[in-house]
Amino acid sequence: MTCGDARDMFSLLADDALTPLERAALDAHLAECAECRRELAGFERAVKLIRAIDPVRAPAGFVERVLAAAQAAPLPQQPAPLPEQPAPLPEQPAPLPPQPPPLPRRPARRMAWRRPAVPLSAAALLVVGGLAVLLFRGSPEQQRAAQRQLESPPAVTAPAPRSDAPPTPAPPPREPQKPPAPAGERAKTAPTPPTVARKRAETRAEPKLSDEQRNVTPPQAAERFGAKSESSERETDKRDVAQDAIQPAPAAPARERQAATAKTQPTPQTSALSRTGAMTGIPAATPDVRAQLRVADVSAAERSLIQLATRVGGRQTGRRIDAGRIVVELALPRDAYAQFVREATALGAMSIESQTAERPMLAVAVTVSN
Amino acid sequence: MREALGADPRGLLARLRAGDPRAFEELVMTYQHRVFGVALRMLGSRAEAEEIAQEVFLRAHRSLGDFRGEARLGTWLYGIASRLCLNRLASPDRRVARGDAALLDVPAATPDAAAEVERAELDTALRAAIAELPDERRLVLVLRDIEGLSYEQIAVALTLDPGTVRSRLHRARMQLKEKLERFA
Repeated sequence: MTCGDARDMFSLLADDALTPLERAALDAHLAECAECRRELAGFERAVKLIRAIDPVRAPAGFVERVLAAAQAAPLPQQPAPLPEQPAPLPEQPAPLPPQPPPLPRRPARRMAWRRPAVPLSAAALLVVGGLAVLLFRGSPEQQRAAQRQLESPPAVTAPAPRSDAPPTPAPPPREPQKPPAPAGERAKTAPTPPTVARKRAETRAEPKLSDEQRNVTPPQAAERFGAKSESSERETDKRDVAQDAIQPAPAAPARERQAATAKTQPTPQTSALSRTGAMTGIPAATPDVRAQLRVADVSAAERSLIQLATRVGGRQTGRRIDAGRIVVELALPRDAYAQFVREATALGAMSIESQTAERPMLAVAVTVSN
Repeated sequence: MREALGADPRGLLARLRAGDPRAFEELVMTYQHRVFGVALRMLGSRAEAEEIAQEVFLRAHRSLGDFRGEARLGTWLYGIASRLCLNRLASPDRRVARGDAALLDVPAATPDAAAEVERAELDTALRAAIAELPDERRLVLVLRDIEGLSYEQIAVALTLDPGTVRSRLHRARMQLKEKLERFA
């Protein structure tokens, strides 16, 4: 046994994972090699130091914050069929498969996942206060992806399969030449969260990454992967971003979704400050987010809101008067939502009444009053 | 080192799949410290670690239907956390700021009143040495020597060949040994 062979066994020795034969061979070498004995002493000391580091605990209130965020997140479809592939790591969304027809809302299930002690408004405020940043985090890349969505032409919509039919295999994950449909178009053609289908597609997509990792053999190849993985993970991030931008909307009644779609249709000719066009005075269907903004100067705040929406990549979609108060209707990229909330909060006292969707474009109705 | 990752709470997976409203809360309560721990050791910032840890559970919440139960829930969550951390560390926006902050926000082990100065220096050197490890090596080291996972659990969580786990862990430990030799 060489010194190199002996030192390669130090980790297994520290983990008590050597076979009796390996252990005997190592002991025999150490008995004759003072240099390796010194190396081993230093190695064991380092391992002991690392293992002496105290485990950390999650901060107080962590569980409550996660539960509040989960309430605002899309609900799992139960029971889910077993996928054929190994259990995936779910952080690698797959491209959107063709959309099945709408499923009815499941109020019983939704209630089951809510904590009755927490009012919806409180949960929404919690989310906006801290977790909206998580859910709607907008890196520059994500905002650009959302912007590309706004600018891209409508895509041809594939016919929707039966809801019980297996999903069509998802397209390859990297197709930058095929931008997703605009949010409004997608909302119209993809009204239902194909959660199960999408998850199946994710299952298909995930092993690709796993295989990349499995193909690596130690030790030299592991180093290559270590170096390579940075770029591949960055690509993964970009795919995440692209997929986030085409995330389907959660389940909603068809008529509600249709109305929301009308509200979020692109209106390219409408300038950011225009109050015509889509401004019918008729409230659209339930928006994803309702907000109350109390300010001293309503008109100035309204202008600022519209400018802010434009600046973060969104647009105004409507304006109406509700009980004497101005309601500004906006379509905002989901990824820019957190930025919008942060900056809108600076305009006055803002409260959020509801928040549900995870679609790429959010319908936001802001009631401005003093 | 944290205690070994044992079996999931009895019946938890079945209750999660059945839509038991308390089951998800139990999942978070059971694994919050582990998930937060690996995120903190990898990212070095408590705020960022909490953000990632929350995202881990939200993704698990959305993906429970896809979890086949071949691995433990804890291993599955470690896998999600690991991937999210590596993605975050590799993001160009974060890369600018890293290198100096990693692990510095991590509380040191309980101070030994008998050797304060030397111990403090050693703690600082230890944390700096861990922070300087390549991300993939640091992840394996954290999972094994701080979070207490077995080689097999790490291999499952990271979908790596066990040999790769062994190799990365050994190289990480050897690198730390070199960095800490002056304290011998």
